[in-house]
Amino acid sequence: MVDVMERTLFLMGNEAIGYGAVRAGAGFAAAYPGTPSTEILETAAGLEGIHAEWCVNEKVALETAVGASRAGVRTIVSMKHVGLNVAADPLLTLTETGVNAGLVIVSADDPGMNSSQNEQDSRNYAKFAKIPMLEPSDSQEAYDFVAEAFALSEEFDTPVLLRCTTKLSHGRGQVVLRHPVEVAPREYVKDVSKHMMVPQWARLRTRFMIERLQRLRVRAEESPLNVLEPGTIDFGIIASGVVYQYAREAFPNAWFLKLGMSHPLPYRKVAELYERVSRVCVVEELDPFIEEQVRLLGLPVIGKEAIPADGELDQDIVFAALQPYLTSAPPQRRSPVFPPAPRLSDLLAPTTDLPMRPPVLCPGCRHRSVFTALRRQKLAAMGDIGCYMLGADPPLLALDSSLCMGASIGIMAGFNEALGRKAAAAVIGDSTFFHSGITALISASYNEADGLVLILDNRTTAMTGHQGNPGTGLRPDRTQGPAIDLQALCDGIGVRCTTVDAKDYKALSAAIRAEVGTPGLGVLVAQAPCALLTREKSGSVVVDEERCNLCGLCLDIGCPAVAPGEDAVSILEACTGCGLCIEVCKRGALSYAGADSGGAS
Amino acid sequence: MNDVTTVALVGVGGQGILLAAAILAEAAAAEGLHVKANEVHGMAQRGGSVVSTVRFGEHVWSPVSHHADVVIATELLEGHRGLGLLAPEGTLVCAVTTRIAPSGVLRREEEYPSDLAGTAVARGVRLIAVDAEAVAREAGTLRAINVALLGAASTVLPFSAASWERGLVAAVPSKILEVNQRAFALGRGSVVGKGAPVT
Repeated sequence: MVDVMERTLFLMGNEAIGYGAVRAGAGFAAAYPGTPSTEILETAAGLEGIHAEWCVNEKVALETAVGASRAGVRTIVSMKHVGLNVAADPLLTLTETGVNAGLVIVSADDPGMNSSQNEQDSRNYAKFAKIPMLEPSDSQEAYDFVAEAFALSEEFDTPVLLRCTTKLSHGRGQVVLRHPVEVAPREYVKDVSKHMMVPQWARLRTRFMIERLQRLRVRAEESPLNVLEPGTIDFGIIASGVVYQYAREAFPNAWFLKLGMSHPLPYRKVAELYERVSRVCVVEELDPFIEEQVRLLGLPVIGKEAIPADGELDQDIVFAALQPYLTSAPPQRRSPVFPPAPRLSDLLAPTTDLPMRPPVLCPGCRHRSVFTALRRQKLAAMGDIGCYMLGADPPLLALDSSLCMGASIGIMAGFNEALGRKAAAAVIGDSTFFHSGITALISASYNEADGLVLILDNRTTAMTGHQGNPGTGLRPDRTQGPAIDLQALCDGIGVRCTTVDAKDYKALSAAIRAEVGTPGLGVLVAQAPCALLTREKSGSVVVDEERCNLCGLCLDIGCPAVAPGEDAVSILEACTGCGLCIEVCKRGALSYAGADSGGAS
Repeated sequence: MNDVTTVALVGVGGQGILLAAAILAEAAAAEGLHVKANEVHGMAQRGGSVVSTVRFGEHVWSPVSHHADVVIATELLEGHRGLGLLAPEGTLVCAVTTRIAPSGVLRREEEYPSDLAGTAVARGVRLIAVDAEAVAREAGTLRAINVALLGAASTVLPFSAASWERGLVAAVPSKILEVNQRAFALGRGSVVGKGAPVT
């Protein structure tokens, strides 16, 4: 390993971020290449102490990073600006769940479209996601800010956006390497109220997120990354990122508010600049991101009427743009109006002490058996979106997490890689798998991830009302298209796959046990059609009250048709006769009644 | 705002709350009224609490309201919960014999509430208690509890018999129309027969 102490290196901004990540104790890096971000992961991959992987796209990269962060490893994920669009789905819910170990997302923007199809301003995602954003202005800051970003991430329980632009990412400068950051280990703790973003928990996390943004703004006011730099002329400039360097060179005598932490905007620091000078300009590439917020404070500002709204800037452009304003009549002095803290909805307050009625897995849903079997393995279970989220509720309590469509597999892969063992499974429905689980499975295969992926194939898109999907081939007009075979698909991407009948509890349990005991990545397709589609009644279950000792095994499957009575369980009318309760009973107290006799009630 | 009537239909996913709301909305439209409705989808068939709101009047602006003039509850616990949605002096029409224990009650961690009538009196609202299961069974299917209750609720809603009939025809699939027409008539009769006021 290279001795990185006491040395000055001449580094590209992206390389500095890679070095900075390792120095900050990051143990996991994920990315999809994209100019101008690519060298971040390439640099990290060449250093010791960090695992780096290319993921199949930015969404999977972020989800894999989430898994590593949950497992307790500081993680950096990098992409170009348009990649952040691809990763926006996990990002916008990750901001609710927060992190375990620090998670830093680097988005490299490309003003001027040196190598891009559009010129979007990633800073808007920081506002959209209500997360803090740091903007380094040179290679040294790129190196240093990574550690700041990780510290913020853990302190505020939030992903942090580190935003760079082409001239920062691909510009080079001296970087003084610093001592490694001491990072305390963080254990993974199952916490569905933080990781399982079903409405009941997500509503609470949304409030957390709104309040967190208020606290972050206080931090931005105090942060040494936001510096008011005195000047000698009556002219102030607000700038962040490499643009600060252009403006500083163009106007060496101006006052500067240099924003290293540019979101949330430190309103009072902005106001402080207005106390020193009568003319203030925001110099920024692309959108009037800071300018609009300054205007919201009611303060007069020179912005996009002078500074081009497209393309890259440099010191000549900035000088030419602002030079006329040095001698213009200063605007009338006005006091800032600081926006008040937002109110939170009253509707969340509980209005009664009546028992809640959460939705449950339907009676007769044989995918319940997957949860029953999975729970007996000591595995975290990363869930996905759809009916199967209901497996997280009591008494099944079989899921740890739900983030966004298709996220289960990436989270599992990152989690297992970070812990170095098969510590988690992924649970995903057939339609969600086709939506975006498939890309994550390809990524996991390519990266030789460890894990068990359970695809619960109920032959429909159930939660939304039984729409067709590529697995069934059924189209909205009821015509039949080709149906994609999950087994053949897995074979094609080199993933071991077993298809099991979810109605055969013993076979399913055995298959799960076998997979858990086999190294590497495996898929189990558990097949059983949606109980609401078939609506079949396959017999009546009766209780032998002599044998039943109310041990609770049948109650633990979470079937709404099984209820505890005084001396024995009872089977309610909702029973479809699926028989899972019979199979889990160890005392033979449950059985099918004769073909035409009714069930006990 | 005052000339708008709000009806909240509450029950358990799978009980046909959305169908009952559709019939009500169509009946209101048949009266020549402006109608807006709102409902929660997604969990509707997974046994969770379901609330659907129908508002009608000369002109309706908002599609939602947390102050209903009438609450129609297809299940007893949801009826208790529905009291929280009732405006003062409102009416709760509840299937008092239909009890579907939620998971927490099944696990004996929570208690199913009792004394709906007492709670309703304490709140100063009117209760129309309906044995909707018996009515639906008499009509021919237990699945018609929703429409049986709607029949009972029709006694406090200002629509003509012809408008209700048009609502049923417009919203109910033809192969189950007849049994639902029967359930509606029996539900209405169950209240009228008891001498409850008819509007």
